[in-house]
Amino acid sequence: MTISRREWLWLAGACGATHLWARQGVSTPPEPLFAEVPASASGIEWVHDNAMSANHYLPETLGPGCAFLDFDNDGWMDIFLVNSGPSDFWKPPKPVRNALYKNNRDGTFTDVTEKAGVAGASFGMGVAVGDYENDGWPDIFVTAYGKCTLYKNNQDGTFTDVTEKAGVATPGWTTSAVWFDYDNDGLLDLFVCSFVDYSGEHKFECGDNRIGKKYYCIPRVFRPTASFLYHNNGDGTFTEVSKGTDIAKALGKGLGVVATDINNDGRMDMFVANDTVQNFLFVNRGPGPNRRWKWEEIALQAGVGFSESGQARSGMGVDASDLDNDGWQDMLVANVDHEMFSVYENNKDETFRDVAQANEVAQATRLLSGWGLKYFDYDNDGAVDLILANGHPDDMINEYSMQVKYKEPLLLFHQGDDHRLHNVSDQAGPAFKRFFPARGLAVGDYDNDGALDVLIGNNGGAPLLLSNHAGKGNNWLGLRLEGVHCNRDGVGAKICWTAGGKKRYRLKNNGGSYLSSHDPREVLGIGSALKIDELEIQWPGPGKQIDKLTNLPINRYVHVMEGKGILR
Amino acid sequence: MSIYERLHLRADAARLPCRRVRSGAPQGNGTIKRVALAAWGPVMDMWRAIFLIVSLGILTLDAIAQTPQELVQDAISKQQAGDLEGAVREYRQFLKMHPEAAGVRSNLGAALAGLGQFAEAITEYKVALKQAPATPGLRLNLALAYYKTGRISDAAAKLVKVHEDSPENNQAILLLGDCYLRMGQNKDVIRLLRPEHQKNPDDMAIVYLLGTALIRDHQVDEGQALVDRILRNGESAEARFMLGSAKMEASDFAGAREELAKAIALNPNLPGVHVLYAQTLQITAGPEEAQKEFKAELAIDSYNYMANLQMGAMLRQDQKFDEAKQYLTRALETRPGDFAVRYQLAAIALSEGKVDEARSELESIVKESPQFTEAHVSLSLAYFRLKRPGDGNREKSIVEKLTAEAQAKQPGVKAQ
Repeated sequence: MTISRREWLWLAGACGATHLWARQGVSTPPEPLFAEVPASASGIEWVHDNAMSANHYLPETLGPGCAFLDFDNDGWMDIFLVNSGPSDFWKPPKPVRNALYKNNRDGTFTDVTEKAGVAGASFGMGVAVGDYENDGWPDIFVTAYGKCTLYKNNQDGTFTDVTEKAGVATPGWTTSAVWFDYDNDGLLDLFVCSFVDYSGEHKFECGDNRIGKKYYCIPRVFRPTASFLYHNNGDGTFTEVSKGTDIAKALGKGLGVVATDINNDGRMDMFVANDTVQNFLFVNRGPGPNRRWKWEEIALQAGVGFSESGQARSGMGVDASDLDNDGWQDMLVANVDHEMFSVYENNKDETFRDVAQANEVAQATRLLSGWGLKYFDYDNDGAVDLILANGHPDDMINEYSMQVKYKEPLLLFHQGDDHRLHNVSDQAGPAFKRFFPARGLAVGDYDNDGALDVLIGNNGGAPLLLSNHAGKGNNWLGLRLEGVHCNRDGVGAKICWTAGGKKRYRLKNNGGSYLSSHDPREVLGIGSALKIDELEIQWPGPGKQIDKLTNLPINRYVHVMEGKGILR
Repeated sequence: MSIYERLHLRADAARLPCRRVRSGAPQGNGTIKRVALAAWGPVMDMWRAIFLIVSLGILTLDAIAQTPQELVQDAISKQQAGDLEGAVREYRQFLKMHPEAAGVRSNLGAALAGLGQFAEAITEYKVALKQAPATPGLRLNLALAYYKTGRISDAAAKLVKVHEDSPENNQAILLLGDCYLRMGQNKDVIRLLRPEHQKNPDDMAIVYLLGTALIRDHQVDEGQALVDRILRNGESAEARFMLGSAKMEASDFAGAREELAKAIALNPNLPGVHVLYAQTLQITAGPEEAQKEFKAELAIDSYNYMANLQMGAMLRQDQKFDEAKQYLTRALETRPGDFAVRYQLAAIALSEGKVDEARSELESIVKESPQFTEAHVSLSLAYFRLKRPGDGNREKSIVEKLTAEAQAKQPGVKAQ
């Protein structure tokens, strides 16, 4: 029997602790993989207001998103939380606002929302963070039912709403969004998922009026819409460029999006999770003869559009990563209960196969509805793991289901030596034994210990901050990438590192999860290895610079600039 | 005897072994007097008696030679004694010599049905019916075999003819009503049974079927009145089944689950109850619970179409393809050519990498059922995997068109 380092550490820790308890007669449990950080400790007192009403308007049940970002460039991850707000079906009886929490570098946060000017004034949904001006300061795009908002970072702790001026005032109901450079011109472009057409003056309601109860409509009943792609003009403005492409033709009900490169051609593609209609896989085919960018929607033929029964499912959360470390991006989509989630393994020919069964994900998610999620290496052993945040969209589901509940558990999967994901939720800590109406999920290292922490937005409740204790004992290197010719965030960079005789691959995707945005840094786990033998970064276009780095430190973050290497 | 048992007994009749009884009025040459059913129950299966009398009358008229006659007599004896395999063997032996003997062929059909070999029984009944088309009992027997194998629409087609020929045949009426109900043709149930209910207001089987149809047809008040009649007669599985069905129709899954659980507690052998209960559990609980109930139904009726289909589909989802195929094959036996079953089998072939096999079946399915969106999806995928992008894109366009058409019918779209 082989025991992974993580398992060994767990067992060793548990045995040691048991020995200690025996001596001291104290029954202190071992440290969980993830520990909940209560509001009393973090200072995050903000609570999401879902505007829940007797009429059960659909936007009530979809939020909120959340983000880790370093808005003040002090090297510590801050937190942004999206709230609902005034809309055509709801007038808040008391002020409702987003929240920006500054990291105090001691495990606590301070609410700086008002000063920053990011409180918002519409029914917010999600958030996407990116430095669209390449000025080194992250900007914030907030999606909404109603008016979405682009907050430009003023580099002084404040933001300015530049939505109209920038030309990204997206109509309708927007959900997830992602910054990425689709044309490799060195500027981040913006893709915005559009959900259903909910524009009726009198909102369509669903429910059994005989018993006087209304419930949230299944999105199937509403008209689908096309999503939006904004090209960055490089002057602080954008041009919507989806017209005439497959993006405009593909009428969906987008909830999640990840920008990734599924065919290793150096161009970022997009996988969009749609609710009750087929998912979309937009493959970036580069410039067309008519100077219009060519996007080809290939989800059906790629095997990721429908279930294996040929049915469209309720896609919500989505992500991509090189799960099996073969240099090709694999994908993941979360669906509603009884549909099971799909883990898509890349066949390296623009097709995928669903390996959720072999990875314990299908069985574990059969009765769950998944939203926020993330492939990440939570214990820094170098292999990609997975976290899922779940919750049923129908707040009355408990009344007619014996097993499916409104609040659902989080799930944590660890990739074992067999290269399969294994459900380790039982060992993950008390938070994984609780139930949440979870929606957005962001991953980030807020305490800079190299172990990626997790932030979850709960519908109609307080957010959940989970501190990662699982990475202790393993070594790592954190990269803060800075593009020079490519986009400054380095989105699209390919990272390859060798440590302990193992070669690992990472593509700096963007987006992923649901309504949320992650720590932009990349943490490279190397397990018990004491050094990284070689690190190669292939920066995206236009330069496509390849940097090879050696003599690297471990267990700290380094700032790597395109063509310059590590900045000391 | 419960209402549904009366219906089910009729459906079972084709499988029951014959028993020779003496009659005061000799017929034919007097050797074989009369054959009747072993299990009559409180409801006389008159059709069966009529059928057998007619059958044997034909047999007598066939002027069988001594040895063949003894063969038939022995076969009948064996059938009555429960040695169905022996009876089948001897009937077949006889029919080799006298293939025109429709009555004997009918007996062979009954013996085969008794062995659960419904497909073969149907073949024999059909030949016999072709030989003696004016035999109403024979057509009813064929309808019962169809009914037992889940080929409800075929059963209904035969029962319609029986009903036309014999409008007073209550058994045919009830079975036809039940077939309509199973096919979701609630208005046909109402049309058929409303006048019967006026004639026989105390026939609880009619009340049961008519009440269920009315509820499912959203004529809830009238249906509820009939349910109340059943409830007034005391707690019964049938009443709970009806209420469960009604709640299922109204998407009150928790309520349906509760009623159906009570129905099962009252009568776990009530046909169909485990299937409906399993379907509520599929929605309100987990697959393990649902599978347990589907299996309970199959323990009662191994040919239950829905139970076999759902078991196959669930096992396919779990990628237990071999096990799934066993259930699906059985479902296909009960409903040959059924799109849903064939699609499940094609989807398994696609998952197993038997792409050309899947393509062939899917092409056939979409030809017969052009609105079957899932089949178009899978066919498109099969074409792409076979490196036939032109065909794949054609199917993909069909998927988009069907999806758009379905979307346009949605209430939220219409409301805008």
